[in-house]
Amino acid sequence: MADKRRKKDLTFLERIYIPEIIKGLLLTLKNMLKPKFTMQYPEEKFIPGGSYRGRPVLVQEENGEERCVACGLCSRVCPALAIEVQAAETQREKERYPEKFEINMIRCIFCGFCEEVCPEEAIVMSKDYELAFTSREDAIYGKDKLLVPVHQLKDRIEFLRSYK
Amino acid sequence: MPKLVVDGKEIEFKQGQTIIEAAKEAGNTIPHFCWHPSLSVSGNCRVCLVEVEKMPKLVIACSTLAAEGMIVHTASEKALAARNAVMEFLLINHPLDCPICDEAGECKLQDYAYAHGVGESRFVEEKTHKDKRVPLGPNIMFDGDRCISCSRCIRFCDEIAGAPELTFVKRGDRVTIVTYPGRQLENPYAMNVVDICPVGALTNRDFRFKARVWDMSANKTICQGCSRGCNIELWVRNNEILRITPRQNDEVNSYWMCDHGRLNTFKFVNADDRVDGPYLRREGSLAKVGWDEAFAAAASELKQFNKNEIAFIGSAFASCEDNYMLREFALNVIGSRHIDFMRHSDSNFGDEILRKNDITPNTMGAELVGVTPAAGGLNFDGIINSINEGKIKALYLIEDDILSANPELENTLAKLNLFIVHSSNFNKTTTLADIVFPAAAYAEKNGTMVNFQGRIQRLMPAVATLEQDRSLDGMAMSRLDKFGTRFDRWAKGNKRDVRPTWKIILSLSAAAGYKLIRQAQANMAEDIFEIMSKKIDAFKGLDYDKIGEKGIMLKIDVAEKA
Amino acid sequence: MSIWETIIFSLIKILIIVHVMLITVSYLVYFERKISAWAQNRLGPNRVGWKGLLQPFADVLKLLLKEDIVPNQANKPIHTLAPLLALFVAFTTYAVIPFGPDLKIFGYTIPLVVADINVGILYVLALTSLGVYAITFAGWSSGSKYSLLGGIRSSAQMISYEISMGFSIGGVLLLSQSLRPEAIVASQSGWMWNAILQPIGFITFLVSAFAETNRLPFDLPEAEPELVGGFHTEYSSMKFAGFFLAEYANMIIASALIVTLYLGGWQFPYLETFGLPYGWYVAISVLTFLFKEALLLFFFIWVRWSLPRFRYDQLMNLGWKVMFPLSLLNIVWVAGLIMIFKI
Repeated sequence: MADKRRKKDLTFLERIYIPEIIKGLLLTLKNMLKPKFTMQYPEEKFIPGGSYRGRPVLVQEENGEERCVACGLCSRVCPALAIEVQAAETQREKERYPEKFEINMIRCIFCGFCEEVCPEEAIVMSKDYELAFTSREDAIYGKDKLLVPVHQLKDRIEFLRSYK
Repeated sequence: MPKLVVDGKEIEFKQGQTIIEAAKEAGNTIPHFCWHPSLSVSGNCRVCLVEVEKMPKLVIACSTLAAEGMIVHTASEKALAARNAVMEFLLINHPLDCPICDEAGECKLQDYAYAHGVGESRFVEEKTHKDKRVPLGPNIMFDGDRCISCSRCIRFCDEIAGAPELTFVKRGDRVTIVTYPGRQLENPYAMNVVDICPVGALTNRDFRFKARVWDMSANKTICQGCSRGCNIELWVRNNEILRITPRQNDEVNSYWMCDHGRLNTFKFVNADDRVDGPYLRREGSLAKVGWDEAFAAAASELKQFNKNEIAFIGSAFASCEDNYMLREFALNVIGSRHIDFMRHSDSNFGDEILRKNDITPNTMGAELVGVTPAAGGLNFDGIINSINEGKIKALYLIEDDILSANPELENTLAKLNLFIVHSSNFNKTTTLADIVFPAAAYAEKNGTMVNFQGRIQRLMPAVATLEQDRSLDGMAMSRLDKFGTRFDRWAKGNKRDVRPTWKIILSLSAAAGYKLIRQAQANMAEDIFEIMSKKIDAFKGLDYDKIGEKGIMLKIDVAEKA
Repeated sequence: MSIWETIIFSLIKILIIVHVMLITVSYLVYFERKISAWAQNRLGPNRVGWKGLLQPFADVLKLLLKEDIVPNQANKPIHTLAPLLALFVAFTTYAVIPFGPDLKIFGYTIPLVVADINVGILYVLALTSLGVYAITFAGWSSGSKYSLLGGIRSSAQMISYEISMGFSIGGVLLLSQSLRPEAIVASQSGWMWNAILQPIGFITFLVSAFAETNRLPFDLPEAEPELVGGFHTEYSSMKFAGFFLAEYANMIIASALIVTLYLGGWQFPYLETFGLPYGWYVAISVLTFLFKEALLLFFFIWVRWSLPRFRYDQLMNLGWKVMFPLSLLNIVWVAGLIMIFKI
């Protein structure tokens, strides 16, 4: 039999419960009077910092080209198998580009592995957390939705560089 | 046999073997780039350096002959230090572009860098730059930066393909590979250099950037390009075949295969013109119908003819099982004696290396299972003549586009009252057919084929169909196949409504009111083979397990059959 | 007063009370959510209407629109009967609770209680015991293990705590020498509240009231983490709403009983000595009753969001080994008071 004795015996006051109950009640009463921290969401938007992992996006350079070279490492590392990449050849210096880049936002778990593994700093986690869709098809984000100009992602890229 | 000690383990070797060969046979693969078991030794990559006791310096395992009593250390401190140093040298000028390199995932340099590299470079100077994206030939792209100058490709062209087309030029860190002036890398075996290139310097232009190797599954089967039956692997992603690579089988194709087989024998499986479900001719055009309807229609149509008015044409493109079932159907259900198949031969195709003039994979098999005229039956030419004469009014053809092979047959086939065709794709022949059954392509079924040597080899499925599931039917599974659901686009790959010919014939005979196979229920190609192994002498005692992945020689007199 | 007048006045009183109850119940839910939110530094419902005041109606509408699911294994008549029984008990108990002094209007003297019967307290005890059946029926008829466990717990718990509840009332009856709620209220004039005269009885009654209403810390019949809702696991739509309504109605009854039995009922201490007009006297008395009631309801909710649930064995220990002896002790105490002070 395991030793069932308490580490510390209760005192008489504790044993009659009532003072302890009153203490507990006073604690909740105190909290009822404290200021509230609730954010009134749709009117009041939460603006995350650089460390926030919102939906993953592809970085679009100022000249309109994507950084991504379609190496498929994000797709490989993705634990939820959310990313599908189809590479194709281009005449640009980088040789490869993603002909198709799809993230299934139903599968995505926002772990940020894709961003961590990316050799080109081409996929980063954005601050976008408003991701509602009404069908499975809508949840698959193609290049049209994923490409985001680099200047909008400065916070995150700076954050990443400071921790590399 | 003489013995030497490698890493503390005593192993036997044959006189004349090098250390690397002896060690490999004993299951200890010493790292190597330039050495290839079927090429000559060049010894220029230096990564196979090993320490041999009583030798003053390290030696390269690939060109040092094994000797009695030799004590070799492949992983001693000294050997490892040397290997790490060699890796560092090789990586000095090798670009860090694994992310965009097709070889990534099956790259020797990557593997050894992972195992032996120091992890970072001490080289601060600029790497050398050579020509990138050089098309060496119609199918091969060369990237000079990535080349580690192992010379495997040069030796392959010289020694195996017998077509010296490549050479080194320049020296030192500027050395690079070019074709001889005025020549291209375009011999019929050229694309093997892509497989043997230990890095991503030589890439397959047909497959370039199509898929990462880790997203595909490799499915073992045999090539359909000619009667050699080279052992191959079909690389499949999302139920689509993306490339073919040869699979080692010293009895058949060694490590190689020809470019024709590699490029032209898989695209029809993925093509859009696949027959997807049975088709019946209605008011002049083919219309898709259900299986039961098609079987009922075929059975009742066949009953309208006298048994001597029906002829059967098997196929050297179909498996032994398919041909055997056709024969059983012709002889036992219909009672026709007119059965044969069309021979396809191309005298320009064959050569002394792998390619054979017989461009069908299973001529020998079709003959062995008896797709030849029964006593008093007509052969192929006889059938054609009889059709012209109006004696034969119905033709049952499996898996062969006879019209494309011989366009003169068009008027003949047009005379038929009933023309039933099993075909994987719509082609010229199906345009004349009255009933088209969708036959599974070679990559979609189990089966056996017999090559020109009389070697029986297995076809194994690589592509899922509506009735054949990837995991349940034992096909190779990539990570995507394992975890994909029907809601994932990358797992939704086109599954076609096709069935192997033997199965279609079995259902058709049931629809005609005849139970073709009385023994066990035949659910698998293996069951058909079991029946064949009892009835056909050449297959006696064989089963799929005995044939295995590399095939087995039949005890027949090949010369007599050929 | 003729019999007809009595019937008409009773009907009017019943109508008023039922409506007040229903609205109070729905707003009680609203306040429950608000107070829980405040206790957790949140805001609580604030979307439907001003400050979320229309939330109860939205809730009711939602429950009305839900599909009424009856499990296959359920005994359908009893499954339907159970929530009705719960509601019936909750509402009929209120008949004997006085909420003000006699109202004198248009020459009539109307007692502000639906039924001024001389065995009112027995009536209350009888009906609350009937409440056990509602929960036990629900638990048994659902044909689900969770529901059955909830039902069994409920009956065991209610029977155990009814004993200490009954004995606590014994002390009150000794003092008032009547079973009429009106008489009990009258016996607590001034500061002679039973809560002050017999604190032990007050506490045992209060705790038993929590147990009888299945409120936390004694909500073992529902116990979401263990029983997935307990006896009402298999209920949805308005049947579920029936149980929900009954729980809050029971809270109101329990607070009303506590007010009547221990906190001087509708009496404002020494109000009659201020010499106010009789109309004002009645109004202030009714308001006093409502105020006491509201305080107790707040207490109910407050306790729920402060204390954790008892374990089952702790609950039984507390009921039989603590509450029962204490309520007996209370009777001895009251008897002593009567003997010594000759009240």
